[in-house]
Amino acid sequence: MNQLGSIGLIAGFAFALYGSVAGAVGGKLRSLRVTRSAERAVLAFTVMITVAVAALEYLILTDDFHGAYVASHSNRDLPLYYKIPVLWAGQEGSLLFWTWLLSLYSALVVWLNRKKNRQLMPYVVAVLMGTGVFFSLVTLLAANPFSELSLANGAAFRPPDGNGLNPALQYPSMVIHPPMLYLGYVGMVVPYAFAMAALLTRQLGDHWIRATRRWTIVPWMFLGFGICLGGHWAYDVLGWGGYWAWDPVENASLLPWLAGTAFLHSVLVQEKRGMLKVWNIALVMTTFFLSIFGTFLTRSGIVSSVHAFAQSSIGPYFAIFLAIIVFFSLTLLFLRLDALKSENRLDSVISRESGFLFNNWVLMAAVFAVLWGTVFPIISKAVENQTVTVGASFYNKTTVPMGLLLLFLTGAGPLLAWRKTSFQSLKRNFAVPLAAAGVVGITLFFAGIRNLYAWMSLFLSAFVATCVLSEFYRGARTRQKFCRESFIWALYNLTMRNTRRYGGYIVHLGLVLLFVGFSGLAFKSEGKALMQEGDLLRVKNYLLRCESLTSGDTPNYTYLRASLSVLKDGRALGTVEPERRFYKASQQPITHVALRSSLAEDLYTVLAGQDPESGKAVIQVFVNPLVAWVWLGGIVMLLGTLLVLVPSRVDREMDLLQAQPQAAEETQWL
Amino acid sequence: MPVVIALLITASLLVFVAYPLLAGEEASAHLSTLPVDVTPQVDLKNRRLVLYENMRDLEFEYQAGKIAQEDYEALREEYTAHAARLMAASQGLLRTSPEDALIEQEVARRRNRRRQATTDYVCPKCGYENPLPVKFCGECGQKLKSRS
Repeated sequence: MNQLGSIGLIAGFAFALYGSVAGAVGGKLRSLRVTRSAERAVLAFTVMITVAVAALEYLILTDDFHGAYVASHSNRDLPLYYKIPVLWAGQEGSLLFWTWLLSLYSALVVWLNRKKNRQLMPYVVAVLMGTGVFFSLVTLLAANPFSELSLANGAAFRPPDGNGLNPALQYPSMVIHPPMLYLGYVGMVVPYAFAMAALLTRQLGDHWIRATRRWTIVPWMFLGFGICLGGHWAYDVLGWGGYWAWDPVENASLLPWLAGTAFLHSVLVQEKRGMLKVWNIALVMTTFFLSIFGTFLTRSGIVSSVHAFAQSSIGPYFAIFLAIIVFFSLTLLFLRLDALKSENRLDSVISRESGFLFNNWVLMAAVFAVLWGTVFPIISKAVENQTVTVGASFYNKTTVPMGLLLLFLTGAGPLLAWRKTSFQSLKRNFAVPLAAAGVVGITLFFAGIRNLYAWMSLFLSAFVATCVLSEFYRGARTRQKFCRESFIWALYNLTMRNTRRYGGYIVHLGLVLLFVGFSGLAFKSEGKALMQEGDLLRVKNYLLRCESLTSGDTPNYTYLRASLSVLKDGRALGTVEPERRFYKASQQPITHVALRSSLAEDLYTVLAGQDPESGKAVIQVFVNPLVAWVWLGGIVMLLGTLLVLVPSRVDREMDLLQAQPQAAEETQWL
Repeated sequence: MPVVIALLITASLLVFVAYPLLAGEEASAHLSTLPVDVTPQVDLKNRRLVLYENMRDLEFEYQAGKIAQEDYEALREEYTAHAARLMAASQGLLRTSPEDALIEQEVARRRNRRRQATTDYVCPKCGYENPLPVKFCGECGQKLKSRS
């Protein structure tokens, strides 16, 4: 099976290499036959990488510990639902997984564009397969999951059992978190490929933007959802009471998401007004670059992180690939600058366009700040030969004000009209939301909230929520007046007529919920105590009593469990049972947090360890206000994005127009 | 065994990939060049659709009370003017569709040739301007120099 996997990888690499060359040649010669062959190579690449993935999964599921990868990331007693994700638990497997997702995306692009975008497709294939060449090559040379264990004398070696899956990864949301993130990272190659193809063919209108609209939103959605899942996992598993720690690997996923968010907004300006063409190309390049850079950070171990992947040899490969991307993209952009002239100028500073532009600047500033904080340790090591890490305070100082500014723009942007907005229109649109936010702000002040950032975040949340809701309300009322529909029906039709706009508003509402959740961070309280049966611990208005400490054994791990009864303001709320597990195969301990979650606050209890002398359990308790709003916000953002993906009437008209057969015939003459 | 299967899959995929290159000329003659994605007509129509959508939006936002009267009127005027420009451009394109352009070209070529003919076939003896390419003068029968 190891050989089968290796053949899959090698053949996959060969098909990718052929596909990228044939794509470029097909595009240059404008030859349909060569292009067809290149497109078929994409499908062949997909089949062969699928063979390799299937071979590795087979090795994992059948506990074949000949292979180094399976032996170090799996074990016999691992339950089936945790064996499947072993594929992406380690470096080698996840690179193969990355390559596989790339192949699936590429095959889908080829299939869905078999009758469209014919001029762009050869170059799209070339870029997709160029990326495929890189990833299959790195997997083959530097991180081959099919390499076999051998003894010093060269004889094959098969350990009786494997080292097991990292226990921190044995968690339900961890099963889907990496695939989601990877679908996000990998997917960003598609809009990049189309942008490059547009540059190469000089088709620099908004055609490529229209063609890639969904291809950008889908990976953006996966990336965002993946980040949320990662936060949820960190909160539930790592046991330090929070969901975001500005860890380099977390930042790595945030960077392309921020750049992608900027891109999603600025394309609207190009579509509506024919402006920001160079900026859009630069943004899509940045997003793709940051995706690869993120994969590099996650996988190379160049910066230390809680994700703690080993130092490895793939760093130089990625550095070269990143350099190629930068050189290729910038050269091409520079050569085509003349064809990327803006069709219109900014009419007024107070307009929707400038709102978008401002949003882009803030987002890119955030990208820069986070990137700086993330790579600073590497730079400081190179320059001064000592690693200086950047703490959370740096990020909080820089990104919190930016985040608040973005939140404000989220509400204010949609209230501005395209081209120009007079003072009168401003007054009309801002009066109600500002009044609502003012009421909330004053109430919060008198309720005793004095933390400036938290107050501003809640104040702006009220402002944005009112803005968004009034958009829906006013829109539905207007429809109701002209179309004689019931309010609910008008609301539905309004949304479905322009799913992008109203879906986008729902995403904005999700963002509001996120910020409400973030504000809760200012009001955290925590307590810690050594406890045994009968001991009491008071945190804020909670009183916890240790009812029992029990230990036990399962095939996969042993555990120590504390049973704590909870009283809140003297009222009994039942018991919570935090656990500390010790996984046998990997010889690693891990905490299992016990949570009582409500919209107002979470009671978060951790069994952090056991005092060796007294045998008492170390119990840590956090009261985290408003955390549930973060998860709720993530779900609302996901739903909003799904709504954006539903084709609206306007989209369908455009698609129909592009699919017109006579358009293809006329081309024979031109 | 798995290795044999893998090699078989690879071999069949090779054939699959090479097939478009090897297929006979006849089968792929009409497929030899890539069709254009966006013709100028489609591009103009796209832009018009975007503009109409912008106008509908403007109208809707005005009705919803989001835009002041003066902004609305100024913007509507600009949009209408832009739409008119795009329509004119579209019609200009339609008038010179590729077939028309070819016909116009041919007509121009022939007209040009005829015009030349009238100046070239002047009889050197009697000075008569012969209307068509002829070998002898229609007036006096003088043999004319043959020209191609």
